[in-house]
Amino acid sequence: MMAIRELKVCLLGDTGVGKSSIVCRFVQDHFDHNISPTIGASFMTKTVPCGNELHKFLIWDTAGQERFHSLAPMYYRGSAAAVIVYDITKQDSFHTLKKWVKELKEHGPENIVMAIAGNKCDLSDIREVPLKDAKEYAEFIGAIVVETSAKNAINIEELFQGISYKGLLARRPQLVALSLTMLCCCSLTNPSEVESRFLLHHLFSVCKIC
Amino acid sequence: MSSRTMGTRVLDKRGSFFKLIDTIASEIGELKQEMVQTDVSLENGLESAEPYSMVRHKGDGYSEEKDTKAYPRDSGYDSLSNRLSILDQLLHTHPIWLQLSLSEEGAAQILQSQPPGIFLVRKSTKMQKKVLSLRLPCEFGAPLKDFPIRESTYTFSLEGSGISFADLFRLIAFYCISRDVLPFTLKLPYAISTAKTEAQLEELAQLGINFWSSPADSQPPNPPPPHRPLSSDGACPGSHQLCLINGVHSIKTRTPSELECSQSNGALCFINPLFLKVHSQDLSGSLPRPNTRIPSVNGTERPRSPPPRPPPPFINSLRTSPQLPRTQTQASMPETANHNKQEAGAVPGAKPTPIPPPRLKKQASFLEAEGGAKTLTGSRPGSGCWPIPSLEPELSTAGSAGGAPPSEAQGSCTKSQPPCSESQPPWNGGRQRLSDMSISTSSSDSLEFDRSMPLFGYEVDTNSSLEDYEGESDQETMPPPIKSKKRSSSFVLPKIVKSQLRKMSGVFSSFMTPEKRMVRRIAELSRDKCTYFGCLVQDYVSFLQENKECHVSSTDLLQTIRQFMTQVKNYLAQSSELDPPIESLIPEDQIDVVLEKAMHKCILKPLKGHVETMLKDFHVADGSWKQLKDNLQLVRQRNPQELGVFAPTPDFVDVEKIKVKFMTMQKMYSPEKKVMLLLRVCKLIYTVMGNNSGRMYGADDFLPVLTYVIAQCDMLELDTEIEYMMELLDPSLLHGEGGYYLTSAYGALSLIKNFQEEQAARLLSSETRDTLRQWHKRRTTNRTIPSVDDFQNYLRVAFQDVSSGCTGKTLLVRPYITTEDVCQLCAEKFKVRDPEEFSLFLFVDETWQQLAEDTYPQKIKAELHSRPQPHIFHFVYKRVKNHPYGVIFHNGEEDLTTA
Repeated sequence: MMAIRELKVCLLGDTGVGKSSIVCRFVQDHFDHNISPTIGASFMTKTVPCGNELHKFLIWDTAGQERFHSLAPMYYRGSAAAVIVYDITKQDSFHTLKKWVKELKEHGPENIVMAIAGNKCDLSDIREVPLKDAKEYAEFIGAIVVETSAKNAINIEELFQGISYKGLLARRPQLVALSLTMLCCCSLTNPSEVESRFLLHHLFSVCKIC
Repeated sequence: MSSRTMGTRVLDKRGSFFKLIDTIASEIGELKQEMVQTDVSLENGLESAEPYSMVRHKGDGYSEEKDTKAYPRDSGYDSLSNRLSILDQLLHTHPIWLQLSLSEEGAAQILQSQPPGIFLVRKSTKMQKKVLSLRLPCEFGAPLKDFPIRESTYTFSLEGSGISFADLFRLIAFYCISRDVLPFTLKLPYAISTAKTEAQLEELAQLGINFWSSPADSQPPNPPPPHRPLSSDGACPGSHQLCLINGVHSIKTRTPSELECSQSNGALCFINPLFLKVHSQDLSGSLPRPNTRIPSVNGTERPRSPPPRPPPPFINSLRTSPQLPRTQTQASMPETANHNKQEAGAVPGAKPTPIPPPRLKKQASFLEAEGGAKTLTGSRPGSGCWPIPSLEPELSTAGSAGGAPPSEAQGSCTKSQPPCSESQPPWNGGRQRLSDMSISTSSSDSLEFDRSMPLFGYEVDTNSSLEDYEGESDQETMPPPIKSKKRSSSFVLPKIVKSQLRKMSGVFSSFMTPEKRMVRRIAELSRDKCTYFGCLVQDYVSFLQENKECHVSSTDLLQTIRQFMTQVKNYLAQSSELDPPIESLIPEDQIDVVLEKAMHKCILKPLKGHVETMLKDFHVADGSWKQLKDNLQLVRQRNPQELGVFAPTPDFVDVEKIKVKFMTMQKMYSPEKKVMLLLRVCKLIYTVMGNNSGRMYGADDFLPVLTYVIAQCDMLELDTEIEYMMELLDPSLLHGEGGYYLTSAYGALSLIKNFQEEQAARLLSSETRDTLRQWHKRRTTNRTIPSVDDFQNYLRVAFQDVSSGCTGKTLLVRPYITTEDVCQLCAEKFKVRDPEEFSLFLFVDETWQQLAEDTYPQKIKAELHSRPQPHIFHFVYKRVKNHPYGVIFHNGEEDLTTA
């Protein structure tokens, strides 16, 4: 018996970076090679357990095409989190990402959780954006960052898990700090878990804020 | 809190985890203290609530003396103003008991620690339907039992019961006061039933599912007899045996006099405002009211009405006689006191004729509805209710006096809980909310009407709704679409009731169907910019109006709008923005239909004008407008034969008729209604074709005639109309006739557009065909999540029999076909001689599950398909082995049909 918490998440980013594919992989665990560009936005949900509650992600997957750009505020305005996606093989998409971040900082909700996803990491041999750049930028803006592959299902779950925990952190810093403490103790013995990686990351960001 | 946070952080910085833990420990301590505090305050609340709760529990026959002692001067007003009806309580606290996503285990876990009678409503994944999970007392063996909720197209009801309700809240409210097919009545958690104000209820509701594990869910200080319903009949010990025979309840008949006895307790009245007139007419000839009341309070004999009713059984008088005097002696108690007061106050005026004049009555019933609404929005002092009580006692007596529909009274007699209703203490708003609680059983008319009972009794603006109702019909009065036509034909209303309906314009709004109510609510929500949904819709509407350059073509524009509507529909269906959740108000197979209508209203209605101009602009810009205009003139001058028409064509009058229909179509914003009109035009054309020749014409002959007619109508706007419909119509409707005739109309228009003198204009240009093909593909493959629609038409069933081994057949089925019907189909297809021996099974994950008769195989299939990991499953029609009963619920779900 777990309480359900709704989390509105919206995906932003340049056209063709794989926003819909990420959502599709997360929600349906499915990947379609011939996906057509999103019109306007599409909506999907997925519920995942997080701590002692269930998080129901209400995901708005927005259209990346420039002409739909002005529709995006409708979707991110009420969101708890934004996933900003870029394509690691396209430097341009990383620039677009920065524009989105700027827009979110200016017009988005105050406490919006930002997550940066460098998609198509299965194509790292033709990579244009070094992971280091993304990490530095993410750190600078206080966002989660992770490289993903919707095609090979890499780090997709983790991306949303990160949002969950970060959301949790925003609401109940003490509780998360407690779990972090415990995790730190655990990680001394078993330091491999992805979750603990994320938690540690948050712990650091908490430290940095202080 | 923030200072604490800071503290944590500072400590954090020092890197001392132990200190951090320390802080957290102290934090938790503080939290605990806070919790204790709320606990205390809650207890305080309880203490002060106690009088009421005791009053309510008076039927239990405990501590009545204490009651009278403690509240000798309670005139009834205070308690009246502080009371919330069961329906109110349920509406406010649905986050607690309505747990649709809760698993069976979860429900068991919650209910285990609850007293008998506590319940949850959840959705059973096994049965693919909602169930009422009820905590049973230990005598029953199992700790809890699921009662499936049947959802017909328009109503909710418990399996096995003949009583249907407009929504879940009404259903639950009813079962809180009458057990019907349940072993006993439902009970609300103590904290809920004793909450005095809406604020308290809201506070509890905030906890959501955590309520059950929170200290708020406390038990009463002096717990009433733990299993009230069964042991409740303290007044008549004999009935205990009656109630419980081998742990199974027996149906107890209940005479009308028993019903009255419960009324004098203020427990429950069956009143259908529809029968207002009917009752009163009957009554006008009978005894004046004071007479009817007093005996009913006094004793067992009720001289009120000449006896069309059976004499009360003996046990009954046993029961009523000791009880009724008791009620009387407790004159100081709110309920009775209240009664007396009301009578004293109101009767004199109404004495000569027990029925108030029609106008007054109308007003009264209106007030009643309004009062019902207000009880929720703010506890209102009894004063406003004055006109009502004068009516109500009469109505209630009329209801059981065997007045209008004897079947109704009878039905409730046989079906419901033993009369004294001692087991229903929390019911106290019954008197104020009669209109909401109208419940009837067997008579078909009232049953249908139950549906149209006020659904959102808690909405305040009863007045405005009437206008809204009129505005509902799409800008112009239009005959209802076929669907609703069907429905209205199923209303079997006595004439007298119909005329009554017309007269009651004051409460007319409350007769809106739940569907209309829901649409209206969503439309209201869409105008509220404080909500996420309202923001979305408003922003989108203004975005479209302001950004004309955003769309490259008319198709693009319409597609974006359609996409937006579909996605927002998804959002509404899946988020918690609609409160209470739509599933609790609208039966599941209707949700999408209702949401679609709502989308039309809140998105297409404000955008209609803009979209039309935009479409025209696009067509003018790309030249197709002019092309159509020129060619229309050309085609009009041709005679029918030149257009390939070899069938009779509509004459001038018919063309005029069709033109009027097309003009009406232009005024509609709903694509669905537009298509409905298009279908009517097509039907008319077919009729004309057939009438004048006596021959049946097929689709091949139809297209040329349609082309001819469209040309004769000479309406350039038809082009954009067709496009509007083609792109905006709900994709699920494109499969049927709508899609077919839209394609025809599109074809006809493109024939006209491409009409050239030398062309034998009967063939569609390849370009047109291509466009149509693309359109069809786009509109039908656009959906990503599998839904019932995707698999709606076919079901593959394997047949397993000893003699023939295993064979498979694909059956053509309706989306909401029940297992029962599939079985019947299978019996025919596989030529089974003894179909009663066979049943449909689902083989999935290496297990066999027999499907209950009223499950929906197509929905189960859709559910299986939509799981992230594909499951291999088969529907198998095979012999049921050695099971004595007809139906078993798979996997340990209890056999409900045999209970």
